[in-house]
Amino acid sequence: MAFLEVEHLKYRYPHTKKLALDDISFTAEKGEFIGIIGENGAGKSTLSQAFCGLVPQFYKGAYGGKVTVDGIAAATTPTAELCKKVGLIFQNPFNQLSGAKDTVWDEVAFGLENFGVPAEQIHERLDKVLHQLDIWQFREKNPFDLSGGQMQRVAIASVLAMEPEILLLDEPTSQLDPQGSEEVFHTVELLAQTGITIFMIEQKMEKLASYCDKILLLHEGKQIAFDTPEKIFSRPDLAELGICPPYVTRYCVEQHIFRPDGTYPVVVEDVKEALKRDKERKVTLPQLADTVLAEAPENRFDVRNLKFSYTEDHPIFENFQLSLDQRPTAIIGQNGAGKTTLVRLLKGLLKPSAGTILYQGEDISRRTVASLAGQVGYVFQNPDDQIFKYKVIDEVMFGPLNIGMPKEKAMEKAMEALALTELTPYAGENPYDLELSQRKLVAIASVLAMDTDVIILDEPTIAQDYSGKEIIRNIIASLSEQGKLVLAILHDMDFVAQCFSRVVVLAHGQLLADGTPSEVFVQEDVLKKAALDMPHPLQLRKALEQIQ
Amino acid sequence: MKTISLYTNNGSWLTQLHPFTKLWYLAAAICIPLLTGSVWGFAVMIIISFVLLKSGRLIKKALPLIAFSFTIILTIFLIHGLVNQQNKNVLFAIGFLRFYKEGLLYAAHIGLNILNMLLSFAIVVLSTRPSELVDELERKGFSPRFGYIINSVFQIIPQMMGTMHTITDAQRSRGMETEGSLLVRIKAFLPLISPVVMSALTATRERAIALEVRGFGAKGLKTWMHPHQKTKADRIFSWLCIAGLILALAGRIYLWLS
Amino acid sequence: MKKIFKTQLNAAVIVLIPACIGINYLGKLFASFLKLPLWLDSIGTCIGAALGGPIIGAICGAANNLIYGFTTGDNITLIYALTSLFIGLVVGIMARIGFMKTFPKALLTACAGGLAAVVVSTPLNILFWGGTTGNVWGDAVFAATQAAKLPLALGSLLDEIVVDVPDKLITLIIVFLILKGLPKKLTTLYDTEETIESLD
Repeated sequence: MAFLEVEHLKYRYPHTKKLALDDISFTAEKGEFIGIIGENGAGKSTLSQAFCGLVPQFYKGAYGGKVTVDGIAAATTPTAELCKKVGLIFQNPFNQLSGAKDTVWDEVAFGLENFGVPAEQIHERLDKVLHQLDIWQFREKNPFDLSGGQMQRVAIASVLAMEPEILLLDEPTSQLDPQGSEEVFHTVELLAQTGITIFMIEQKMEKLASYCDKILLLHEGKQIAFDTPEKIFSRPDLAELGICPPYVTRYCVEQHIFRPDGTYPVVVEDVKEALKRDKERKVTLPQLADTVLAEAPENRFDVRNLKFSYTEDHPIFENFQLSLDQRPTAIIGQNGAGKTTLVRLLKGLLKPSAGTILYQGEDISRRTVASLAGQVGYVFQNPDDQIFKYKVIDEVMFGPLNIGMPKEKAMEKAMEALALTELTPYAGENPYDLELSQRKLVAIASVLAMDTDVIILDEPTIAQDYSGKEIIRNIIASLSEQGKLVLAILHDMDFVAQCFSRVVVLAHGQLLADGTPSEVFVQEDVLKKAALDMPHPLQLRKALEQIQ
Repeated sequence: MKTISLYTNNGSWLTQLHPFTKLWYLAAAICIPLLTGSVWGFAVMIIISFVLLKSGRLIKKALPLIAFSFTIILTIFLIHGLVNQQNKNVLFAIGFLRFYKEGLLYAAHIGLNILNMLLSFAIVVLSTRPSELVDELERKGFSPRFGYIINSVFQIIPQMMGTMHTITDAQRSRGMETEGSLLVRIKAFLPLISPVVMSALTATRERAIALEVRGFGAKGLKTWMHPHQKTKADRIFSWLCIAGLILALAGRIYLWLS
Repeated sequence: MKKIFKTQLNAAVIVLIPACIGINYLGKLFASFLKLPLWLDSIGTCIGAALGGPIIGAICGAANNLIYGFTTGDNITLIYALTSLFIGLVVGIMARIGFMKTFPKALLTACAGGLAAVVVSTPLNILFWGGTTGNVWGDAVFAATQAAKLPLALGSLLDEIVVDVPDKLITLIIVFLILKGLPKKLTTLYDTEETIESLD
């Protein structure tokens, strides 16, 4: 009998008609690393929650089939028992802390206390796990004062302390900045070597390609395939299933590079192998294609001698200069580089302590935020910080009406915005009934409808799957065509290289580089200084240049 | 992180006392004056509370609490001094306002009671870490589920306050005015409060899952990592309070019988 | 009867309670920030009552005042734990018998909640502060009744009515709007009637 067995698993959430899981069957052995992929709504999280009994015991609904973990039936064993065997980590680091402990140490001990593990043993396990995840130095801190990546590691530690045999990671990095993601992925790599069984749901296919023994591909609740990464990513129907294979695979498809078994390589090493085998083979090296704007650049923002600080002794910007025209521009850099501070200054939410910010020649420091709202739109990172209406269309019309648009025009603009964000079918729905990825699009639509000349997007691709990213790519292209400036804070370097004409790199309030993606991303020293990754095409190029 | 709790660990002897010891003092401080029924009872307890706060270096932190209740005490003095039904003898007058002796005496009784409760509570509140009190209660058989509720409130409120800030910015960015006439501010009420309330409620689903997967509500006894042992000082202090309570009660019964 | 008071104490309900207490705090803060002549400090209690039933409502209410009383040193709040408990209880019962489903019915719930507050608070007011409530508008009414030589209890009752009934009306309207917007995925977690259906 396999360690984890799933037999004809079916599940439907209460008050819904469609099956969220429809006839899933597979087995996994101890120590395997298994990826679960599929577009948003494919049933990935539901499946992972069925492993620890939350589906159906927590959600109720309708359940069929069987999940057994080490011989125990997951559907009927209370989660509070089953969690000794199966640990679950999910996206939002914030909501998965107990919320009742005021130090990291106590937070990690929470689960063990609940089980009545003797105090000495708790001390031993915590010593081990806090060091293992490199959070020992934070043990006395309040977990909510930590950064996202640190908080997520605390969450992982508190599950690991319970010594589960299976670890479920449900997009653990999807809401983290690049540094936080790296910290978590690094942890996952270390864990994989300890022999623990890991299931990982992830949109970053490059990561799955390098970690996984096997991948389970889901679509609309159905199991499409359960196979090796090479076989899965070589499937010709991935686009229809809402999956974008790793860049390496896409490149190999284009260049007709195969592994000995006829599948496409999924990791850089395999491409190198293939090219070494076939010495005669000449390939076109991957490169970035810059999008060039047809019109002559017109000046939008002028930031001159900007100085700003939140507290007296820690200036964020000092003597900072930047001009922005209507080219779509991405601002990249680590947390604390000043990206959000900069866009908030441009939006007028913060006022410079010295220097001027000119918008089309006019000093904005004397304008109120509300009065600037008609010219500069700003989409906040978390859509839940703004949504308050009970119909998507009302939410989208709130901004236009605030800036004095007549009702008919507001309606027209709102419908246009919904069409652009592909939300038209949801116009009459309650935004809270939508998924996070859709709510993010609602927030974008609610700013697009205000028809501003500048649109600032703060991490728009977070929580989006492949098709969601495609929608955002279209939005950026369509706005630029209308001559509007799109300014975005992003950490998805592939997306930046693909969609933006200009890239601005910030680190510690300094402008490190400024240019087209192909100019900026080749400056390795700059990327290193800003602690940023190279886009995958350039990473592959670099690797292939070494062997050719 | 900001907290709504007023406790700070200033290392004084009051913070070292066992939470239950301080609860005994609270019971004694509130009940003894009520049992004796005289203004002097209040006065004595208020002085003792002041002395304790002073020795625990907490006076400075207690003052805002007293100031907070000042308006209420003032209203009581005004209303009863002026219009209490028992008012007969004018004590003094400010312009056309005549203050009566009976009403002011009545108000003094209430005011002292408020002040007494306030100070004795201040001793507990300012010197006891809430999670420690919860832990000790749980060890005595208090439900861990309720213990969780109490601890969680302390985390959730600062979080909600933090979100409020971002929400205000997000709505202003969409052209909503937040400052101006009362009407403008009332109109801003729903767009500001609704997102916090909704996200607080929707977050409970994930938080509940987080608790489930950490064995919350598992059967069997849980472990407490920081048990607070009672010291000799605790025992002496508690017994003093209990003795005071018994004396006051005995006095009361004696008065009834005679 | 049993159905009205049916309560589950699972993790979903336990985490709901602190969220509700936080919402109470926020409402109160807003009311004082906007200088409204209302308390607005029972929005969360009423949400808890409507979602979790009368027992959860009562727990939200009582825990709310006890926690604030014991930690912020505001022991005036503490005394009214009893009032909050009854508001939660009454609103919970009203919600379970279907009086939160439509807007007019929600207004009736508001009146019931308001009356519960008045009935419990008045004796407390008289016992502790000789009849005042600490709210300017209510206390003005109280002073007027005392000047007119009306009985103290009646004056205090009127004082409470003037303060609590409008407050509960506004509160329940807000609660009604919030409940209407909550996703189904969330509200089913609190449904005591929900069972697991078999698909085999």
